[in-house]
Amino acid sequence: MAKKVKSRTISVRLISMAMTGYFRTMIRPRTHRPLSMLKYDPVVKKKVLFLEATKGGRNR
Amino acid sequence: MATTQASSLVNKLPARLRNFFARYPPQVYSAAVAPQPEAPETAAVNAPEELPSPYTPNRDAKGFKHPDPKEFSPSRAFLHSDPKHPNPFLPRKNFRTGKWSGPRVGLRRQAELVKLAIKYNVEALLPPGRKSTEYKDTRRNERGLAIKGTGVGQKVKGHKWERTMEARLEDRRKAMMEMPEMIRLWKQRGHGRGWKSWPKR
Repeated sequence: MAKKVKSRTISVRLISMAMTGYFRTMIRPRTHRPLSMLKYDPVVKKKVLFLEATKGGRNR
Repeated sequence: MATTQASSLVNKLPARLRNFFARYPPQVYSAAVAPQPEAPETAAVNAPEELPSPYTPNRDAKGFKHPDPKEFSPSRAFLHSDPKHPNPFLPRKNFRTGKWSGPRVGLRRQAELVKLAIKYNVEALLPPGRKSTEYKDTRRNERGLAIKGTGVGQKVKGHKWERTMEARLEDRRKAMMEMPEMIRLWKQRGHGRGWKSWPKR
């Protein structure tokens, strides 16, 4: 039986490092390094660091 | 002189109050001549704790317990009845027959009398009863407002967001304090290329 084909891209969750629980969902190529960026967090009303979180917390 | 002044004051009162005071003279029945409630020395008077703020509920406080009817409380002591001159505002027990008889003046009439007396500024001359301002104030102090958890030693569970609010705000505050340093490191390590500590989902 043929293996199920994985999609080329995955959707990932970028969590605000201000610990507000705010997050953004983005799509990146599966083989790309984890995303991280400065974005606006409306809870603290500032630009803060957002880091990608994966299930189990394992990133390359 | 004083009696003429007093009699002129009495004549200003409405007939209903005058009749009541004629039947139950204030020098015998009024709350002013009743002995002041005193806590027995054995009764532990629990001092009112700090009022719980809705966001920092007191975890150690016990839940609301209905007071023991035999225990001393200022409001209960306020409802005083002299066995020789039974308070017309209170029910009383006939110790010979063991039966209770209702108050001479029912709660509806008591309320009307109290309202009248307040209007003519003679509330202190009425016998102590459940409708008096003083009783209501004492009782409110004991039991708290109609809002749950505002009485002495009362608490409410609250929603989870209320219970955890303080801890979450503290986390957020700490995180924001460290944010400039974190961003500096992140920029230094190639905008995430050398980043090791990724958050768990």
